[in-house]
Amino acid sequence: MRWWVFIPVLALVLTMDAAFMPAFAIGGHVPQLWPLLLAFVALYASRGAALWAAMIVGIWLDAMHPALGVGAETPRAVTVFGPHVLACAAGAWCVLETRTWLYRRNVLTVAFSTFNCALLASLAFIAIAGIRAAYADPSPLWGGGSGAAAVGSDVVDALYSAVIAILPAWGLQSTLTVWGFATAGPRFAGGNRMYRGND
Amino acid sequence: MPFVSSRRILVIALAGAALLSALPQSFQTSWSGTLATVLWAPLVPGASALAWVRDRIRAPAEPYQGLPEELRTTREGRDQLQGELDAAQLRVGQLERELGELSGYRPADRAGWQPRLATVIERGAGRPAGLLGIDVGTAQGIGEGDPVVVGGNQIIGMIAAGGAENRSWVIPLDDRRCGRIDAIVLPETADGSSDASGGTGAGGKKADKAGRADKSDKARNGTRATVLVQLVPQGNRTLVGELESPADVKPGDSVLLSDAAWRPAAQGMRIGVVESEGALDANPLRRRITVRMESDPLRVARVVVKVRVSGQGQGTRGTGAAK
Repeated sequence: MRWWVFIPVLALVLTMDAAFMPAFAIGGHVPQLWPLLLAFVALYASRGAALWAAMIVGIWLDAMHPALGVGAETPRAVTVFGPHVLACAAGAWCVLETRTWLYRRNVLTVAFSTFNCALLASLAFIAIAGIRAAYADPSPLWGGGSGAAAVGSDVVDALYSAVIAILPAWGLQSTLTVWGFATAGPRFAGGNRMYRGND
Repeated sequence: MPFVSSRRILVIALAGAALLSALPQSFQTSWSGTLATVLWAPLVPGASALAWVRDRIRAPAEPYQGLPEELRTTREGRDQLQGELDAAQLRVGQLERELGELSGYRPADRAGWQPRLATVIERGAGRPAGLLGIDVGTAQGIGEGDPVVVGGNQIIGMIAAGGAENRSWVIPLDDRRCGRIDAIVLPETADGSSDASGGTGAGGKKADKAGRADKSDKARNGTRATVLVQLVPQGNRTLVGELESPADVKPGDSVLLSDAAWRPAAQGMRIGVVESEGALDANPLRRRITVRMESDPLRVARVVVKVRVSGQGQGTRGTGAAK
């Protein structure tokens, strides 16, 4: 995978998630684009590249979503690195495990993988946050309410993200050759895996 | 990149992430904020531009939308003055109370405030959810606990500690992590206006005061008295509180913040209106009210932070113009 393509696209996607996607919010549910990018990468890149990409996405997400800790007078916004990294790795792993039985060159497949990726990442994040809440955090990292409510809300978010992902997925699919993926040569066949030394 | 193909480095990186995830916040506080600022910095120009596009696509829900700019500014100014009047009246009520309890008297916080306009550039979708990122920070004098308002006197949240030079986080008022909030319910008088006289207590006395009506207020209003209530944020622009049954609260009554734990500049700011009130099954002697915020924190584009200025009288405004 060409990292010089991935990093700028990731920056654009995260910027859109932070500043632009709230325009499409419905009833407090905001679609997000990072699961789409991660699912797209995990569908085509090598296993190692996909997991590294997931970790980079996770680090950036951790930086963008501070938790609230105890402050002297008011709650303190504290950036906690780690939970999103593991959550994104879980999301990418889910796509890596399912991609072998999916017809990848279809935007609906990308949307389906987006849902899987977002959902598993959310479950992993809430699990980590639940464990942390037992000993490390004054309030759970997922915010207010119960963990079950957070999971329910995130299922809706994941579905909405998958629906919104259809159009950008088409755009990403059309740029497939630019990414230099290990498993996305011209009409890749399982038997002739190409070796790319830089992947 | 050679590291990508190394399974060992990948495993070490994932183990490092797991270790960081397990550590308490205090282990990361010293460096994580700086790293987050560095990672966020390249996204700032794009985020500002996209926030502008977002507001064009979906107009932010702000007070007095659709009115001519001049009329809107005038109404916001009126609301701001109304807020200051409410705050002053609350303060007078508090002083009267303290004079009656000299043992509990404590000096007034003399800090004033200055308005600072800020643009919401980040809305915390995803987890942890709810915080709003604004484009002003410590470089502009923003400090932790500063109240954040829209439309003159509608409070929507407070600044969290741990902001950067040009970036701060706002905790919305309806976020449970904002904690319990002491407030007063202001009954609508016969002519439709409301009165903020008194009704507040000394700081720190919380649940036991909920629902207590002030008879002197009753005499002053002529009709219904202000009611103290402690609100618990519930998300989705709502807060709930419990009252004693005799308290005279009706849907549509205004609710003002009156919490000693908040900055003086936040006192008397409008939280919202009583949306509903009803019996509490678990305790027939008490009733439950639901308060709905008038502004949706997730749909505001520009906010005003009431920045603390030391050495001025309570409630006085600085001369510095908004950014």
